[in-house]
Amino acid sequence: MFQMIADAINQAGVNFVDALVRLLPRMVTTITIIAVGWLIAIFLRGVVRITLGWFKVGPRVERVGLAASLKASGLPPAESLAGSIVFWLVWIGFLISGIDVLGFASLQGLVSEFAAFVPRLIVAIVIFVIGVVTANFVWRAALLAAVNSHAPSPRLLSGAAWWLILLVAGAMALEQIGVAQTIVMTAFAIAFGSLMLALAIAFGIGAGGVARRIVEHAFREPDRPDPDEVSHL
Amino acid sequence: MRVPETSVLSDDLVRDLMAVGQVDVLVGVPTLNNAGTVTSVVRAVSAAFDQYFPRDRTLLLNSDGGSTDGTPDLVRGIRHDAGTVTVSHRLRTEHRISAPYHGLPGKGSALRQILTVADLTQARAVAVLDADVTTVTPEWIAALVRPVRDQQYDYVAPIYARHPTDGLLISQIVRPLMRAAYGWEVREPLAVEFGCSTRFLTHCLGQDIWTSELARYGMDLWITGEALSAGFRSCQAPLGQRLAPSSPDRPGFPDVFAQVVGSVFGCLDVHAAYWLSRTGSDPLPVVGAEFAAPSEPPVVDAARLTQTLATDLRELQDVLKTILRPETLAALNEAVAGDRLDYTDALWVATVGEFLIAHHRGIMSRDHITRALVPLYLGRVRSFLSQYSAAAPADVDAALESLCLEFERMKPGVVAAWRETVKR
Repeated sequence: MFQMIADAINQAGVNFVDALVRLLPRMVTTITIIAVGWLIAIFLRGVVRITLGWFKVGPRVERVGLAASLKASGLPPAESLAGSIVFWLVWIGFLISGIDVLGFASLQGLVSEFAAFVPRLIVAIVIFVIGVVTANFVWRAALLAAVNSHAPSPRLLSGAAWWLILLVAGAMALEQIGVAQTIVMTAFAIAFGSLMLALAIAFGIGAGGVARRIVEHAFREPDRPDPDEVSHL
Repeated sequence: MRVPETSVLSDDLVRDLMAVGQVDVLVGVPTLNNAGTVTSVVRAVSAAFDQYFPRDRTLLLNSDGGSTDGTPDLVRGIRHDAGTVTVSHRLRTEHRISAPYHGLPGKGSALRQILTVADLTQARAVAVLDADVTTVTPEWIAALVRPVRDQQYDYVAPIYARHPTDGLLISQIVRPLMRAAYGWEVREPLAVEFGCSTRFLTHCLGQDIWTSELARYGMDLWITGEALSAGFRSCQAPLGQRLAPSSPDRPGFPDVFAQVVGSVFGCLDVHAAYWLSRTGSDPLPVVGAEFAAPSEPPVVDAARLTQTLATDLRELQDVLKTILRPETLAALNEAVAGDRLDYTDALWVATVGEFLIAHHRGIMSRDHITRALVPLYLGRVRSFLSQYSAAAPADVDAALESLCLEFERMKPGVVAAWRETVKR
């Protein structure tokens, strides 16, 4: 009886040592991959920041209004943000590769899934950035056009345009990375529909007078003199 | 006659020009649906050829942008002596050609065609007129051509007889800014009509400007700026009163403002190498006797302008704080806070200077920058008119001169900010 227990314990110890002997090189390999990956990620982050600096991406980003959006969202400048994104993508890639070397059955296939996810994530980021740039441009254009044509509530009009574009871009980006696609699409459809309905009710019933003034302003006779006509040229 | 290899001229036009040969005086008239006014312009040109240049070989060139109202036919069909009293008889044939221009739509392409024809026909003097104007007289053409032909000037800018409160966009931005930058006191830098020599037009044709955005809307300003910055002998010629009927097709004021101010800023970008090192300002010679300005100021109802500035400023805070320095924006907010708007010269000059730098740096779409200046300009106009609309013309002139000097005082700061941008 005691002999059997002692054999079992002995066997377990032998198995543990065998497993440890088999796992140790893999662990060393994993740690090496993660460490090297970290160094490579840091290097690539520097390369991206310097390259974007050379191409004067900062002023360009400022020009399209993205810098202000990043600042308002508490994010770092564009060059730093792009560098950080590259750092994390590269390092997470190495991290998953390192873990994959350990050979845990439940973590098998992570590398291939991550490899498939990265392009979608990049596309989603690009879509969202384009959305923010477009939203900022349209917001400013709508605001200036509304102010210069003396339309009522310029900030409301331009703000609505900004949110609308951002909503579409956000939904497209989330759809691209496959985050709860059904929920995102349904939420987007409900939000978009609600917004349009709210605008229709507000414009048609709640603010009929404003609607009439806007339409009258848009379709006024061209040869009717402006009340504030001044000799400019 | 030397025909350029890559020509902006059509084969038909070149054939017509071969028949014309060399000319002494060329008058160019760009048109686009000007059937209502072009007749009086063409008659004035014909009368000028008869009265002032009877011994010269003359050519009237109409460069048309694709009129659909029969403008080119009208130009071709107007009889030389119809409706005019001829006081002298021509010794040479007056040539008249109407041709469509090619390239980008806009005045730049029309001007390019006119100047190319002048270069090809080796015209000694060229005058360009606006087909919209109803007050063109033969004396206008003589005033623009004679300084070039007889006194060897290369560029002649017009002087219009107008009340000092007329043309506020010119007097509040274009004139003082161009004077402070280029260092020459040009009364009408936005020279829709001008005269020039072969030397100057050949120089202009050699510049890389004709396919740029500036060529669409800013050629009148660019021509003036180019003459001044490239050191061509320039003068001004009094023409008299300039009246152009308002057209229902004209763009709205914000569009016109964006085109004009965008062109001024664009010209300063193009000519930065010259004006950054130019200091002070000198008067530009005036050739000919000045006309008396109308004593009556234009009818203005600017009461509405102030009411909107405070609101507009509030709406545009987010945009303006990226363009203006915090102290300038604070001063502006303070200026509109009271009952009486007082948009001072110093504040206005600071505003324009900071918009110019923002435009140069391209901190956002340049069109947005110029459009953001519209409400501020209207506020400044209201403030200025509230002080001077009932003042004597001499007092208004003094106020405008003072504004020009304020712009000149601002220049070193703008130059420093501009150079800072170049370093960045």
